[in-house]
Amino acid sequence: MKLLVCIKQVPDLESRFKPNTEGSWFNEADLAWRMNEYDEYAVEQAVQLREQLGDSAELTVLSIGPDRVVEAIKKTLAMGADNAVHIQDPAAATKDPWQIASIIAAYAKDKGFDLIFTGMQSQDRGSAQVGVTIAELLGYSCATTLVGFAFDNGTVTAKRELEGGIKGVVKLKTPALVTCQLGLNIPRYPTLPNIMKAKRKEITALAVADLLTVEPLARTASFHSPAKKGGGIVLEGDVDNLVDQLIGILKDKTAVLR
Amino acid sequence: MEATREIYWNIGHGAVIPMYLLAIAAFGVMAWGFWQRLPIWRQGKALNRFDRYDERVKRMIAEIFSQSKIFRVKEGGIFHSLFFWGFLTLFAGTMMVMFQADFFTPLLNVNILSGEFYKAFSLVLDLAGALALLMLAGLFIRRFVARPKGLEIVRDDYIVLQLLFAILITGFLIEGARMAATELQQNPALAIFSPGGLLAAQLFATMSTETLLVTHKILWWFHFVLVLGFFCAIPYTKLRHILTTSANAFLAPLEPKGSIVTINLEDECAEQFGAATITDLSWKDIFDADACTSCSRCQDRCPAYATDKPLSPMKVVQQIGEMAEGNPAGNLIGTVSQDALWACTTCRACQDICPANIEHVNKIIEMRRNRTLMDGAFPGDEVRTATGNIEVNGNPFGLGFASRGDWADGLDVTLMESGAEVDILYFVGCYASFDNRNRQVARSFISICNAAGIKVGILGKEEKCCGEPVRKLGNEYLYQMTAQENIGLIKGYSVKQIVTTCPHCFNTLGRDYRDLGLDIPVEHYSTFVNRLITDKRLVLEQDPEPFTFTYHDSCYLGRYMDIIEQPRQILKAAGGRITEMDKSGYDSFCCSAGGGRILAEEKLGSRINIERVKMAEATGAPLLVSNCPFCLTMFEDGIKTGGFEGGIKVRDLAEIVVERIGGHA
Amino acid sequence: MKTLLVGEYREGTLLDSTYELFGFAAQLGADTAMLLVGSDGQLPAYGGTLYLADAAVCGEYNPDLHKKLVLEAVQKENPDYIVFVHSSYGWDLAPRVAAALKAAQVSEVIAITPGGFEVGCCNAKMRRTVKPSSAKAVLTIQAGAFPVLKPGGTPQVQRLAAEGSAALEFIGYEPAEPKDVDLGRAEVIVTAGRGVGKKDNVAVIAALAKAMGGELGASRPVVDAEWVSHSHQVGTTGQTVSPKLYVACGVSGAIQHLAGMKKSDFIIAINKDRDAPIGEVADVLVVADVMQFVPKLTAKLAS
Repeated sequence: MKLLVCIKQVPDLESRFKPNTEGSWFNEADLAWRMNEYDEYAVEQAVQLREQLGDSAELTVLSIGPDRVVEAIKKTLAMGADNAVHIQDPAAATKDPWQIASIIAAYAKDKGFDLIFTGMQSQDRGSAQVGVTIAELLGYSCATTLVGFAFDNGTVTAKRELEGGIKGVVKLKTPALVTCQLGLNIPRYPTLPNIMKAKRKEITALAVADLLTVEPLARTASFHSPAKKGGGIVLEGDVDNLVDQLIGILKDKTAVLR
Repeated sequence: MEATREIYWNIGHGAVIPMYLLAIAAFGVMAWGFWQRLPIWRQGKALNRFDRYDERVKRMIAEIFSQSKIFRVKEGGIFHSLFFWGFLTLFAGTMMVMFQADFFTPLLNVNILSGEFYKAFSLVLDLAGALALLMLAGLFIRRFVARPKGLEIVRDDYIVLQLLFAILITGFLIEGARMAATELQQNPALAIFSPGGLLAAQLFATMSTETLLVTHKILWWFHFVLVLGFFCAIPYTKLRHILTTSANAFLAPLEPKGSIVTINLEDECAEQFGAATITDLSWKDIFDADACTSCSRCQDRCPAYATDKPLSPMKVVQQIGEMAEGNPAGNLIGTVSQDALWACTTCRACQDICPANIEHVNKIIEMRRNRTLMDGAFPGDEVRTATGNIEVNGNPFGLGFASRGDWADGLDVTLMESGAEVDILYFVGCYASFDNRNRQVARSFISICNAAGIKVGILGKEEKCCGEPVRKLGNEYLYQMTAQENIGLIKGYSVKQIVTTCPHCFNTLGRDYRDLGLDIPVEHYSTFVNRLITDKRLVLEQDPEPFTFTYHDSCYLGRYMDIIEQPRQILKAAGGRITEMDKSGYDSFCCSAGGGRILAEEKLGSRINIERVKMAEATGAPLLVSNCPFCLTMFEDGIKTGGFEGGIKVRDLAEIVVERIGGHA
Repeated sequence: MKTLLVGEYREGTLLDSTYELFGFAAQLGADTAMLLVGSDGQLPAYGGTLYLADAAVCGEYNPDLHKKLVLEAVQKENPDYIVFVHSSYGWDLAPRVAAALKAAQVSEVIAITPGGFEVGCCNAKMRRTVKPSSAKAVLTIQAGAFPVLKPGGTPQVQRLAAEGSAALEFIGYEPAEPKDVDLGRAEVIVTAGRGVGKKDNVAVIAALAKAMGGELGASRPVVDAEWVSHSHQVGTTGQTVSPKLYVACGVSGAIQHLAGMKKSDFIIAINKDRDAPIGEVADVLVVADVMQFVPKLTAKLAS
C-alpha cells in the first residue's frame, strides 16, 4: 500500500510579518520556519497507518518550496516516513492553491497512491483548498477536517469535526485523500535513533517546472497588516461610562455581540 | 618494674598458628563476599575511574582519615567521626601488638611496647576504646531512641551495633581480667594507665585465680571470634561501606562538578541512548548502591522530597542496587517511576552532601535521556511546547527570535555582527532577553559595565537558548544542535571573554560547551563584577545607604561552581547587611527551576519556590537577593502565589549594584 | 452581478449561518439565487429563487452529489460568484466546485474592498486582498464576518435531484462530548487573573463569560491557588488559545500568559494598572478595578 503525506513549511506565527517589496506576501527575512501544524497531524496519522500496515506499506512525504523546506522533510522522515520528494520551487509562495494542487496531482497521478494525507489548511495562507483540490484532480474520494481516523481492509472510517463539537462519521474507499485537523492525534516527537536513520533516507528532488502546467486563477493584490481595530485604546474614567464605551467597541469591532 | 605486659599472657604461643589460620579464613570470607559482588557491578557499562591515580589516592586518604564529608552534618556526623577515630586507634593498637608479638620479639628481640611508650600506648588505647564505646552508644540512641526522620532501622543495624558493642566490651573485659590477675597485684602503679581495664578489673576482684584464668581465656577467644565475625560481616552488611565508601572516595569523578557525558551523535551505530535498564548505567552507578549507607542525608536535603514529590535520591540509588542484584533486565525507569525522574531539579544538594561520593544526578539524567531520546517523552505538554519553541525560535517562550536583542535598544551595547571590538561578550540567555522582569537585570548589568568602562557585545537575534534546560531533561540532541550553533557563531567573532547573568548559561557555556569545542573563558557576572570592584574599575558610592537582606545561593553558582563568597562581598560593599537563611551556601535550597523544571509545571506536592520564599521571610530581612534569572522568576512567582506580597521583595544582585554606582574610577 | 449562495442544513435544520450569505450578497450589491440541500419544512425566509434538493435523498453530507447539484444550479443561473460559508460544509464542498469549474476560490473572506476580497492570513495577524482572475469565482465567507440578513418572503422553489454512487458514505453524527471546558475551541474567553482578589470573586468573571457566550479562562496564579481547575488555565503551561475575543480581567500579563493568548483576534484587558504588560497586547485596555467594572458590564450585557 502506498501512502503520501503532503507537508508545507510555514513561518512561525509568532514572527513579525512585513510585506515583501511586491506587497504580495511576507518578507522572509527574520522568520523562523516550522512544519505547518495541521500537516503534523497528517504526518502522525500517516505514520501510525504505516506502522499498522507494516512493511507492506510505503510512506512518501512531499513538500514544495525552496531549499529550507528540506528541514521539514527531514523531520517527517524522522517521524517515520520512508522516503521523500522535494519539489524545488523558490517561488512556491507566489503560487495560488490551484497551482500547488496541480503540481502535487501531476506528481501523484501515475504513482498509484492509495491514501493521501494533508493538513486541513496551512497556518500562513489558510485557504483550506489544496487537499480537496488534489483529490478532485486525481478523482479520489475525500473527507476533510478529520479528528478521527481508522483504516481497515481498504476502507477509511473518518470522523469529521463539525461546528459545536459535533462529529460527522463517514466511510471512504481508497484511493482517498483526507485532510487533518487539530485533535486527530498528538504528533510524536522524533526519537534520536529515528533522527539518525532519517539521515540515510532518500530525498528525491524534482524541478517544479516539470510538474506545473497551469496558470494561477487568483492573485494577491495586496498583503498588509489589518487596519488597527482600535489597537491600544486606553479607556479611563467613570466606570459606568467605561462600560458603555466598551460595549460600543464590542459591537463595532467584534462579532460577539451580534 | 618495667612498664610492659606479656602478650599472649594466659593464652600461650600455641594460639598463634590457629589464630592466624582463622584470621586468614575470615579475610577469605570477606574477600569472597566482595568477589561475589563483582559480577553485579560489572553488569554496568565501562567507565574509567582509575586514571590520575595520585590525585585519587590522595583524595581518598584525605577524605577517610579527616572524616570531612561525614563531619559536614554534625548530627550523627560527630558520633560517627569520633567513633571512627577511636576504633581506628584500637585497630592500629592491635596491629602494633601483633607486630610486637609475632615479629619484633621473635625476630628482632626488641620490645617497643615498654616503658613510657607503653604507658602512653595503654592510656591512648583505653581512652580510644572508651570514646568509641561512648560514641557507639550515641549512635545507638540516635538510631533506636531519637530516631531522626528518614533514618530507617533494618536488620543490619542490629547486627552491626551489637557486634561493635560486643567487641569493645569484651576488649575491656579481657583487659580487666588480665589486670585483675597480673598488674593489680604485681605493678599497681602501671594500672592507672589503663583506666578502662582498671574499671573492668573490679568485676573480677573477687574471683579466684583459677576462675579468672579460665574466664580470661574464654573472653579472649570470644573477643577474637567476634573480631573475625566483624571481618566476615563486612561484605554482607552495611559494614561494607568501610570498603565501598572508602573506595568511592577514590572512584569519584575528577571532572569539574556537574559534568555530563556528551553523547557522540556522529556514531551512526548507536541505537540505545540513556538508561532503561541497569546494564545501560555504568558499573560505578551500580557500585554506588553498595557505597550507600542509607544515611538519608540526600533525602533530607532534596527539595522535591521535602515538598512531597515522589523522589528520594536515596531511594533511587537503592532501587538501582536492588535491581542490579535481583532483576538486572527489569524496567528500571518503571521501578524508579517517571514522576520521580521528572521531579529532580538537578540541584545537587544530594550529591554535595553525600558522604559516600555517590553520583545521584547523572543517574537521573541518564534515565531521563532514555525517556526523551528513545521515546520522545516529556514531563508534560507544556514542556513539549517549550521544546518545540526552542527548536524553532531558540527560546522556550516561542517568541520571534528576531526580537531577542530588542531589550538592548538604546543601550550602549555592541552587536557582534557589527564586527566592532568588545571587551566581553555578554551571553544574555532567554530570560534576560525576553522576560520583562529579567530584562531589568540585563539592563542593570549593561549599566554596570558602562560605568566600569567595559565594552559589551551581544549576539542579539543570532543568540539561541544555551540548551541547558532541555539537556537536563534528557534531550541531548536538541542541546547539541543549539549548542553547536552558538559555538559556531561565537567562534566566528573575536571573543576574549564571555560573561553571563544566568548561572545555567554559565555552567553550560563554561563547562559543557568545552566538550563541543568552545574554549573561551566564561564567567558569571557575580565574580566579574566583584573583580571590577576589587580592582577599583567599578566604584560604588562612598557611604551607601545600609540595607538588610538575605541571599539565595543559586544551585548552579554555589554547589556547582563554588561561587559563594563573591556575591556576598559585592552586597557588603554596596552597604548590605546579610541575615543568612538556615539553608545557605553549599546547603542552599533550590528555587525549583533547575534541571529543566523551569519549563515544566510543578503539579505534584507543594511548591518548592514558596517553601524557599518562606525560608527567606523567616530571616526577617525585607529583601531577598538572587543572581539567577530562574531563581528571580520563581521567587517573584512564589511571593505572589504564596501571599508574601507587601512583605519580602526579591531583587537581582545587578539591580542592587547599579543603584549604588559612584563616580568613574 | 449574480451570486449563487449555498445554504447550510444539518440534522434536519436550516442553519442560521445561511443568512450571513445574504448579508454578504447585500454588501456586494449582487443578485442572489440560493441552492439548498434541505427540506420543504425548513425553507429560508427569502423571496428569490431557491434550488432545493431533498436532503433525505441526497444526504446532508454527500459532497459528490452536492457538487453535482451546485454545478447544475451554476449551469442554470450562470452566477459570477458561488458563495459558501467557511464552515465544515463550505470548506469541504467549495474546492470541489471550484476545481470542477476551474474557477478561482477565495477562502474565508472577511470583507469586500475595491481591490478584491479581503482575507486573513498568518493566523489573522495579516490580511491579503485577493482578486480572482477566472470568469467565475468560488468564495467562502468567514462565519460572523458579515451581518445576518433575513430578506423575508417565500422562496420560488426549483427542485433539483441528483443521484449516482458516491465514493463517500455518510454514517451519522456523533454528539459533542460533554467537557469541563475546551478553551482551544472557544470563540470568546474571559479570563480571571490574580487581580480578582479571591476565590469567591471568580464567579463574577464566570458570569461575564456566560453573558458573552464564552468560556472562563484563568491565569496561572489563579489556578495555582486552586480557585479554578487547571483545565481553564491559559498560557504556555496551560492552553495556548486564539479566540475571536479575549477578555483579561485582572491579569497582569506574565510572559507565559501573553505567549498563550496574544494570538487572539481581539483582546480587551481590564486592569487597575495602566502599565501592566497585558496592555502591550490589548486592543482595548480598560483602566478600572475589575470587581467594580465587571459586574456592571455583565449586567449591561444581560439587559
